[in-house]
Amino acid sequence: MSLINEKKDFSIISSLIPERSSVIDIGCNDGSLLEYLEINKKVDGRGMEIDQEKVQLCLSKGISVIEGDADTDLFDYPDNLFDYSILTYTLQATKSPKTVLSQLVRISSKSIISFPNFGHWLIGSSLLINQKMPVSKKLSYSWHETPNLHFCTINDFIDLCNELSIKIEFKANLKTKKIKPFNGKNIIDSYFNEVGLFLISKK
Amino acid sequence: MIENKTVELAKDQPLLLDSGKRLGPIITAYTTYGQLNDEKSNAVLVCHALTGDQYVASKHPITQKDGWWSNVVGPGKSIDTNKFFVVCPNVIGGCMGSSGPKEINPVSGKEFGTDFPIITIADMVKAQKLLIDYLNIKKIFCVTGGSMGGMLVLEWLSKFPDMVHSAIPIATATNHSAQNIALNELARQAIMADPNWQTGKYYSSPDKPTKGLSVARMAAHISYLSKDALQSKFGRNLQDRNELEYSFDADFQIESYLRHQGFTFVDRFDANSYLYITRAMDYFDVTSQHGGSLIEAFKDTKSKILCISFTSDWLYPTSENKKIVKVFNSLGLDVSFIEIETDGGHDSFLLEEPKFFEALKGFLNSTFDKI
Repeated sequence: MSLINEKKDFSIISSLIPERSSVIDIGCNDGSLLEYLEINKKVDGRGMEIDQEKVQLCLSKGISVIEGDADTDLFDYPDNLFDYSILTYTLQATKSPKTVLSQLVRISSKSIISFPNFGHWLIGSSLLINQKMPVSKKLSYSWHETPNLHFCTINDFIDLCNELSIKIEFKANLKTKKIKPFNGKNIIDSYFNEVGLFLISKK
Repeated sequence: MIENKTVELAKDQPLLLDSGKRLGPIITAYTTYGQLNDEKSNAVLVCHALTGDQYVASKHPITQKDGWWSNVVGPGKSIDTNKFFVVCPNVIGGCMGSSGPKEINPVSGKEFGTDFPIITIADMVKAQKLLIDYLNIKKIFCVTGGSMGGMLVLEWLSKFPDMVHSAIPIATATNHSAQNIALNELARQAIMADPNWQTGKYYSSPDKPTKGLSVARMAAHISYLSKDALQSKFGRNLQDRNELEYSFDADFQIESYLRHQGFTFVDRFDANSYLYITRAMDYFDVTSQHGGSLIEAFKDTKSKILCISFTSDWLYPTSENKKIVKVFNSLGLDVSFIEIETDGGHDSFLLEEPKFFEALKGFLNSTFDKI
């Protein structure tokens, strides 16, 4: 989960967002991404964060933040209030990823979602060879202490979007920093991307 | 720099009250801390609660105790008086020098008593606005307050949206629930049932309705604390005795504590003021001029807002505060929200709550830096 603080994530997310957009970052951590977007894209930003220490950090930076839970508090926003909603490395920690995804596309015109790809070959081989739940830089918790409830692979995510009639517009590769229009499942992505990063919207 | 002042406003044109009656001139007693900067951009308006007053952070002239928000307002504190110019007026209807039932009615030459017109939270805000105009402040940097103070903050946001840069409503509600009204009615009935109340004309009498006011305060005090805090502080502990006395004395510590709260309160508070101010709180409904719609009430609001609630507050619970947040969210307003975990109950906004202080400080300083 430490990946969130890496500037390359920020720059690739930032490149997906036009200037002066209104943005809500769900699970906004200490507000660094919103701060980055406020400086670089002059966005009108809001955050939601469940961890109060991080809420305090946001407040001290002047980042507007609601202490709240993605699973329950997204219902409070009206349809299409924001241009963009962002959910980085949080989907797998929600109680109901399905509800959260539907809410995100409801409250914003477009959503940017990133999550650790459980289909990555290293994870698969860790399970297969070591017979242990994988622990890596991106999946830094042991199985018994992880806040992550719903791991998914890139292909699982694509299936869920289809089920919810969500359109995947773009996919991004964090390693190569390339953004490409999405045109269906791709074996290279699902095996070799440690992180899935997509721009989605309502159909 | 601390200054206690009194100003007479609405001299030529009396203030039109919600009741349709007029009140003027309006006397406002207020205290200021710190200095207004040249741009007049650093004013913080602190709105006190039901039994609060203008002595936010200075010694109370009657009780000789520190001000009710001495832990929040002061040099280097969350509301830093080295940085901000803090203004705190005593609300109209109050009893610490502002126009209220215990002041002299210029028409009769005697105390107003119950001839004082019924006032509302909106009327209090209209009177505060006169003071802010008098101080020549066009835009208040931040309006804040807890409980009834929070209601005043909400009214400011609704009525004078262009005059409020930022706002922090704390442990409050957009209107009173049936339970809130019931508790206030209990307090009012306790006062009015005291024969010394004399339909409010007790000022020249040697007998004041201290018993009624004392019971009112005891009842209210219970509602300010959480069950857990009461239990851990007092439990069933006995007061200065080893066994029950089989009498109606204060056998239990909690009884003794409540009696003390009641006794000491009557020295500093006027019974009629208690009636007027609780009435104003019960009448409060920020939507009353807006067809019952919260969205309409705040449609012109554009301030940066931080709402704060406390987990163990059952008088103005988190759910009521979240209702406010939801409305602000629906309007796309710049709103933040934090819920402080504590067993301090509703009174938490007056207690030593480091996380609460941190949130206030973080919000105020970062908002001021971004002006």
